[in-house]
Amino acid sequence: MVATITAFAFEVAPAIAILPLASFVIALFAGKYLPKRGALAGIAATGGSLLLSLWVALTVAGGATYNEEIYSLVTTPNTFDLHFGLLLDPLSALMLVIVSLVSFLVHLFSLGYMNDEGEAGLPRYYAGLGLFSFSMLAFVFADNLFMSFVFFELVGLCSWLLIGHWYREDAPPSAAKKAFLVTRFGDYFFLVGVVAIFATFGTTVFAGPESFPTLAEEALAGSGGAGGGAGGLSTFGFGPGAWFTILGFLVLGGVIGKSAQFPLHTWLPDAMEGPTPVSALIHAATMVAAGVYLVARMYGFYALSPTTLAVIAFVGGFTALFAASMAVVKRDIKQVLAYSTISQYGYMMLGLGAGGYVAAVFHLMTHAFFKALLFLGAGAVIIAMHHRQDMWEMGGLKERLPIPYYAFLSGSLALAGIFPFAGFWSKDEILFEALVHGIGGSPLLLGGYLMGLTAVVFTGFYTFRMVLLTFHGEPRTHTARNPHDLGWSVKTPLAVLGILAATAGFVNMVPVGTILGLERIELLHGWLDHGISGLTVEHYGELTHDFAGYTTGALAGSEVLTVLLSAGISLALALAGAGLAWMLYSGPNPEAHTERLGDVRTLLMNNYYQDEYQVWIAETFGTGVARLSDRFDQSIVDGAVNGVSEVSLLSGDRIRRIQTGIVSNYATLLTLGLVVLLLTVGLAGGWFL
Amino acid sequence: MAVGSSVLPTPVLQTAPPVGDWVALAPVLLLGLTALVLFVIDSIDPDDASGGGALAGTAAVGTLLALVAAIALLVAGIGQGQGGALRLYGDQLVVDGMALFFTVIFTSVATLVIVASYDYLRDRVYQAEYYVLMLLATTGMALMASAGSLATVFISLELASLPSYALVAFLKDNRGSVEAGIKYFLIGALSSAIFAYGISLVYGATGQLGLEAIARSLSGGTQLVGILGVGVLMVAGGFAFKTASVPFHFWAPEAYEGAPAPVSAFLSSASKAAGFAVAIRVFAVAFSPQAVVASVDWTLAFWLLAAVTMTLGNFAAATQDKVKRMLAYSSVGHAGYVLIGLAALNSGQNGLVLGASMIHLLVYGFMNTGAFLFIALAEYWEVGRTFEDYNGLGTQAPIACVAMSVFMFSLAGLPIGGGFMSKYFILVGAVGTGHFLLAALLLINSALSLYYYSRVVRSLWFEEPADSLDIEGYPFGLYGAVVGAAVVTFLLLPGIFLVSDAAISAASALFV
Repeated sequence: MVATITAFAFEVAPAIAILPLASFVIALFAGKYLPKRGALAGIAATGGSLLLSLWVALTVAGGATYNEEIYSLVTTPNTFDLHFGLLLDPLSALMLVIVSLVSFLVHLFSLGYMNDEGEAGLPRYYAGLGLFSFSMLAFVFADNLFMSFVFFELVGLCSWLLIGHWYREDAPPSAAKKAFLVTRFGDYFFLVGVVAIFATFGTTVFAGPESFPTLAEEALAGSGGAGGGAGGLSTFGFGPGAWFTILGFLVLGGVIGKSAQFPLHTWLPDAMEGPTPVSALIHAATMVAAGVYLVARMYGFYALSPTTLAVIAFVGGFTALFAASMAVVKRDIKQVLAYSTISQYGYMMLGLGAGGYVAAVFHLMTHAFFKALLFLGAGAVIIAMHHRQDMWEMGGLKERLPIPYYAFLSGSLALAGIFPFAGFWSKDEILFEALVHGIGGSPLLLGGYLMGLTAVVFTGFYTFRMVLLTFHGEPRTHTARNPHDLGWSVKTPLAVLGILAATAGFVNMVPVGTILGLERIELLHGWLDHGISGLTVEHYGELTHDFAGYTTGALAGSEVLTVLLSAGISLALALAGAGLAWMLYSGPNPEAHTERLGDVRTLLMNNYYQDEYQVWIAETFGTGVARLSDRFDQSIVDGAVNGVSEVSLLSGDRIRRIQTGIVSNYATLLTLGLVVLLLTVGLAGGWFL
Repeated sequence: MAVGSSVLPTPVLQTAPPVGDWVALAPVLLLGLTALVLFVIDSIDPDDASGGGALAGTAAVGTLLALVAAIALLVAGIGQGQGGALRLYGDQLVVDGMALFFTVIFTSVATLVIVASYDYLRDRVYQAEYYVLMLLATTGMALMASAGSLATVFISLELASLPSYALVAFLKDNRGSVEAGIKYFLIGALSSAIFAYGISLVYGATGQLGLEAIARSLSGGTQLVGILGVGVLMVAGGFAFKTASVPFHFWAPEAYEGAPAPVSAFLSSASKAAGFAVAIRVFAVAFSPQAVVASVDWTLAFWLLAAVTMTLGNFAAATQDKVKRMLAYSSVGHAGYVLIGLAALNSGQNGLVLGASMIHLLVYGFMNTGAFLFIALAEYWEVGRTFEDYNGLGTQAPIACVAMSVFMFSLAGLPIGGGFMSKYFILVGAVGTGHFLLAALLLINSALSLYYYSRVVRSLWFEEPADSLDIEGYPFGLYGAVVGAAVVTFLLLPGIFLVSDAAISAASALFV
């Protein structure tokens, strides 16, 4: 009986993605005629997805997993096949719940943010949200890299649609284009990677004995000193280790673009031009998560390559610090959040690169909650402020907007990593993993650790600068004195996420567990350690140990001491950053202290001239290449086509001349043609000898 | 496939087929019977103006029934599998997977064309004759696919051809139509003569007319290589005429352009497929490559035909001003693609390469018929014949224009319709058998074809309509046929695997 019920949960699992697809269709074609222009369909669909996801998660909790092909696109014998399939294991089940929950709440919030504000183009908006939810959910349960790529791209498309929602203004279309092009740049590498993985392994399936991580592992384990091809795999002249590293880097290109890591992070701050609920859904909680999730999904492959892991950790640590420093000086509340998002995904990458798989997934989860909360909170503030986003025009909103304030505060405490809010536990675990693996024999990781640690100070500072400027002190403008009222549809999501931001960290209290010796309270660790063999934490630990040489070290030989020190340092630094912000900005009329930074501020305000140098690169090299390819296109391709058309105009003329309309000519040509054919074949066949 | 044995295994003659003759031939019989019923209707009520509905309805029901029968026989597995072909009437007719597969193509095309003709022929005289001729031609085509000896091949080919000549010249008061019909007839007569002469030479060399009998006779080798070779190539010439392959294609642009558009659709889709059906059977069975190619390398002949046909067809299509003439030349080009299947025989993957050609013909049957029927729609609206005349039609008739765009992109081989998959199969077959030059030509020509196909789409959607553009009415039959063809073309993209297995196994079964 139980077996049939569990099977049924997996049978209906495709509906998790299909429900939002249905809402997309409804909003697109019937949205105009619906009372809420498609919002209710979206809410119902994502609510249904949430319930189904929870059901699947419960089923997975019962020990069942699912890894099946459901639709085959192309099957060619002995080479490869392209198919869609479902992989439901603890990781994807967890992510399904997160995505559908955030999506549901964002739909709800949109009622207040979009409908009540009388925005135009609502059916288009809700259709975009539905399509996005569909793509993201399907991406999450994809069982192979090809399917991941397809939905990865669809997610990118939805992002373009939604960022450019207000397409009549100047900035949003341009931001949408930028987001699309920058992520596309990374996706080229991803696409090449997918093809290369097909060419190497003949499969892109994530899980099972025939999956590419397993094949790669066997090839590496079996190759020894053989070099060259390994285990029947073609590695194109490279050693298997080197080749797998190249493959890892190629896929990583897509990850860096989508998860907004340095140097492809520049699209994300601009993407804030989209409606705020979109920022919450796409650019904080889910789409940006796609990159990190992809690394986690194929962690068995990345764990085989120490070089890739080190690069992931370094890029992550650097991005965390780099983005956090830029967030310090921003005036626009959404810009602060945008840079904090980049910074937080940097932490996740650091965690993955440092061998902290659980830590990274943990932070992915807590961040989804508290960042969605912060964006929705910012959205609430923006509604209240009549769509003003400059924090210097706010102030004193605490008394006037109590629920958003406390929810926002909860999210901010989580973001800053203050005990006992969610972000503290997950961020601390990432730093802890980087530290212990760093001192355990991989000193490179210590660099990532130090950057991550420094970023903690910045995070504490900019978070509380944002809270203080927005909510504390005296109102600085007329609008801030008389904010707009907020409806239930705005407050409910804030309340739900506020509670989650405060409590979600309790699912994996590593420091407490280590100190008290209670391994059992590390629930997430246990959750990710069951399921399909080869996709478990334990296996990943073995892989990073065997192939990347990650071993756990401890300060002064004491694990408890290490844990305490690590947690203590990061908490102290976070408090220091927050305290500094408090000192500078807590008065009734705070001053703009960042002005004192002088040139540094200019540098930071201009985002280290990232956009400028990328534009410069794009203009110099891009335009150069474009000009070259234009010339190639004009002279060679068009030349060929023109040549072809000229030849064909000419020969068309000839043909026209041949096609005289006179039947006797046709008969002659026909007969001559036959004779030529006879002579050719006859000569080839030697009839005349 | 038992390749390489010098002695072909003697086929097991089935003295008692698992089903009656009339069951196995049900599609052909239904088509012939419908033609006779149309005669009767016309005799009872010779007044054309009032009888259009009854005639078109009867004809459509007849072809539809034949289509259903063919599909049912295919699904039931009649005559399929290795050595499972049903041989009837002393081997004169053969019912197997390939015959049924092609019958599906012919009857589908005929159904679409007849449904569309109902509107096209409204208020014209000689409607009954039109439908009867079409049914008889379809019967001939279905027989061509089943022909088991060179005698039945010739007779069925003529049964398909003669009504076609009359159909092309159907618009008796239209100079273009009549001229096209005459030219078609004259070239057809010359080709038939060449074909018949080829048959006589083959008979002279082997003493046999039955396809399998010829194969048995040739398996021992022959002293009369030259005679056989000339005969084989002349037979190939006869098929080249039917499939509108260069240099036997001269009739095609004129006939397709001059004929009423539904007839063009019928000829360029079904008639071409019929030519290929019979060519495939004759060359795969009678002149089976492993027995003949060493002395008479007809794959080389088809290689040349394929290369020249697709190149010339596409080049000529690119320079046309009139949409219908462009489609006529593109139809020549597509014959070149399909010829790759014959050119790549004897390379060890016969089932795949021939199956690919058959799949392409099936998909082509829908997308090309649909495209010509759209032309019929345009002729019905009298909007003109050139690309410019189609400017802005998308604003007036969006549904039909969406369908036309599907046809164009599918013909070009973009993954919007089944044309992408079928061309992909041909490409895989060509590359897999080492015919890289043909594969390259296929790609180049496809790229070129995108240029002139997209011209149509650009006219429909992106150009400003002329002020005088005004269309009247949305004829139900024409619309239904165009949209139906578009839906099938589109569905064949994901659903290609429903038919590809049938085609490849039917093609494999030819090589015992």
